[in-house]
Amino acid sequence: MKSKSNTKPLNQYAQWKYWLLICTLIILFMSALPSWYGEDPAVQLAVKPTQSLTVEQIHHVLQQAGINSKRIEQQQDNLLVVLDDPDMQTQAKKTLAQQFEHQAQVTLALAPAAPDWLLNLGVKPIKLGLDLRGGVQFLLDVDLDLVFQNQAVLVSDAVKQFVREQHISGVMVRFSTGAELTVNSASDDARGQIRQFIGQQYPQWQVTGHQQTLSINLSQSEQLKLTNLTVQQNLQIMRSRIEELGITEALVQRQGENRIRIELPGVQDPATAKNVIGATASLAFYPVVQADSLYAVVMNDEQNKPVYVSKKPVLGGDHIIDARATTGDFGMAKVNISLDAAGGKLMSDFSRDNIGKPMATAYSEYSRDQQGKAKQTTKIISVATIQSQLGNRFEITGAGSHQEAQQLALLLRAGSMTAPVTIVEERTIGPSLGAENIVNGFAALALGLSATLLFMACWYRRLGWVANVALIANLVMLFGLLALIPGAVLTLPGIAGLVLTVGMAVDTNVLIFERIKEKLAEGRSFASAIDVGFDSAFSTIFDANFTTMITAVVLFSIGNGPIQGFALTLGLGLLTSMFTGIFASRALINLVYGRDTRRAIKV
Amino acid sequence: MNSTQTNYSTDKLQYLTKWRYASSLISIALMLLSLTVIGVKGFNWGLDFTGGVVTEIQVDHSITASEIQPLMTAAYKQDVSVISASEPGRWVLRYANIPDENQRPELAEVLAPLNTDINVLNSSIVGPQVGQELVEQGGLALLVAMLCIMGYLSFRFEWRLASGALFALVHDVVFVLAFFALSQMEFNLTVLAAIMAILGYSLNDSIIIADRIREQLVAKPQWNITNINNLAIKSTFSRTMVTSGTTLITVVALWILGGAPLEGFSIAMFIGILTGTWSSISIGATLPEFLGLKAEHYQVIPIPDHP
Repeated sequence: MKSKSNTKPLNQYAQWKYWLLICTLIILFMSALPSWYGEDPAVQLAVKPTQSLTVEQIHHVLQQAGINSKRIEQQQDNLLVVLDDPDMQTQAKKTLAQQFEHQAQVTLALAPAAPDWLLNLGVKPIKLGLDLRGGVQFLLDVDLDLVFQNQAVLVSDAVKQFVREQHISGVMVRFSTGAELTVNSASDDARGQIRQFIGQQYPQWQVTGHQQTLSINLSQSEQLKLTNLTVQQNLQIMRSRIEELGITEALVQRQGENRIRIELPGVQDPATAKNVIGATASLAFYPVVQADSLYAVVMNDEQNKPVYVSKKPVLGGDHIIDARATTGDFGMAKVNISLDAAGGKLMSDFSRDNIGKPMATAYSEYSRDQQGKAKQTTKIISVATIQSQLGNRFEITGAGSHQEAQQLALLLRAGSMTAPVTIVEERTIGPSLGAENIVNGFAALALGLSATLLFMACWYRRLGWVANVALIANLVMLFGLLALIPGAVLTLPGIAGLVLTVGMAVDTNVLIFERIKEKLAEGRSFASAIDVGFDSAFSTIFDANFTTMITAVVLFSIGNGPIQGFALTLGLGLLTSMFTGIFASRALINLVYGRDTRRAIKV
Repeated sequence: MNSTQTNYSTDKLQYLTKWRYASSLISIALMLLSLTVIGVKGFNWGLDFTGGVVTEIQVDHSITASEIQPLMTAAYKQDVSVISASEPGRWVLRYANIPDENQRPELAEVLAPLNTDINVLNSSIVGPQVGQELVEQGGLALLVAMLCIMGYLSFRFEWRLASGALFALVHDVVFVLAFFALSQMEFNLTVLAAIMAILGYSLNDSIIIADRIREQLVAKPQWNITNINNLAIKSTFSRTMVTSGTTLITVVALWILGGAPLEGFSIAMFIGILTGTWSSISIGATLPEFLGLKAEHYQVIPIPDHP
């Protein structure tokens, strides 16, 4: 069977395969390159509209404060001050924020240190996880039970009112769990009426009957919708609050069903961040009064224009159960608001007497400042004219565009339906520790890599260099991919995954080389042994890698943060090692040994 | 391409049979012992799973644990564990969280009597429900991974062959877990990640041998299974050693240089690779033999013409 006269040329790759290989490697190498340079600490100044700020001004201020800057870049309304010394970052921010308080919003940032020609290609350094950069991380729990409960209160009030209006007696309404209430009545007729009422007025609630009891449940899809709305809205609130903290690279994302993960790189003092995150919001409706009125207080609206309102609000936001933006007649944007029974009564009484008069909606936020003192900030978010007497469900029109209506609905819910959030996890990693983790991780990578390279070179003399080239190409590709994939973050366990990949990636080559050895021992020529060796090793390599891939995928989908980083490098490492171990090393071997028909060669 | 020709005569490999049987017995004995250890000692669950507070501080080198401990215990009204970290002057403090923020003592004030600069390197507060969820999630991850792997194995291999790989896998995981129970080293999230990686690695090893067994069963239907197993182990042995060797090298590099946060991970991986290699050439290859794997199980290949 040892045919030398094959019709198909042995061990030859088509030219396009080489081009593909070279292109892939070059692209990923370029993508990996900026990570080599790392990132410099920087301070970003976002110039406010109608204000101006020049590079010279900033330079002057920094010089006076004795802070050295590497360079100052201007991009439209943003100025970026890149610093030499990471320790100066906080001080520079403080100095600049004090000096240019009115001109610009000052935030901490990071700037890639790679040369411009490289950055102009659109490549970016690998994003580092919090365990490598230092910073604060919070995990917030959004309490959804209260949201469901508020909804249940709304329905229960409505049922009670319905029963009263219809003069039905002997009906008991009770709450059981968050999203369920039960109605007891001995009369079949009464239950039928209530069932019909719920079906018409609150279709998102499902009614099931058992003897004399009706169970009214919020439907699963509605629960999911409410959960999503609540968490989305909390995310929104957190994002805008963190913006005020002045951290550009902050990460606010949903985790699981009702958790929010907040990562604040560079922040060292969790107390300040906690005050901002833990702030509570509330909402109130005020009658708008004349400026000279005895009971007038002044509040500012979003354009900083004063609005005079009565001291006493019509009702507080705690009466609001739901607010949603919809499209009304003629395509106008409007916001539907639902109040609880008590709120409905207050609003109904007030609006009856004040038709045609304006009513203002005020949004307040309570937060604690750095001294731990509670402070309240209030602004008017809308002023609307009362058109008719309002009940417990009414709508506000004239809120502006659809987007603004959405925003208003969000704020309205924020003051009411917002579920309370609690911080369930808090981690602070000092910047020195983050830097130490990077150094340790990469030292381990360097040692592991060089030991493996040395071992492979000694063990498979003739073919060892192929495995080593493949291994290095593998690492380059891996770094390139990590920088390229959006959302990919390198963490400390991620580096551990890289190191592990180095050890395991050579397996592909080992399997192939062992097969080639075997085939040579059977008396084949080198070229033919290479051909058969690669072919027979493939299914084994695939099987072996596939199972590790399963664990990587499972880890990635179930794990979080650092563990996801590990799963990512492990999984990507498998893919790149297949590519380099099979494809790239075959290409190399074909070029060099493809025509070698000698027998009894030692590899 | 028939390659029935081989350099190993079956007689020469007979010594391997004995070795395999003996090592399989040892494996089973060790596994039973491991399960007992886990049952008796339990795990030293890390903060990720239990919830609580862990703070790493840097103080003057001259300060000892016996100075920190009483201050902490008095202030937090509980037994605070003070463990020396990797470097002198570094301490890891661990205690249960005090939920009410107003009553939570400030660390700097508590340790003020020590008269030293206190540098908080990192601190983590994990709520109890998060820990509980992680335990569930971790267990779920292991279970899902196992199920997926079983699914894949039963699809790719005959069940007897698959069960060998699966048993080896359970063996390795149990052994690593037993080590953590015995040494009472902290079992945290990175260790869990290592266990998952060991799942993959152990299987990798077993599959490569199983692949060889399958290949030989097809090629040499007249051979008995004992000899096929011996041959499969012998012919993959060099690969097994090289790959285990390089992986061990890198894991040791991680152990030496990776620093404290990766210590548990590296140790778990180190043990996992050792037992993974061991089990794949002992119990992993031998179990299918006991379960009655025969060449017939892979001789159904000539399917009459496809429709």
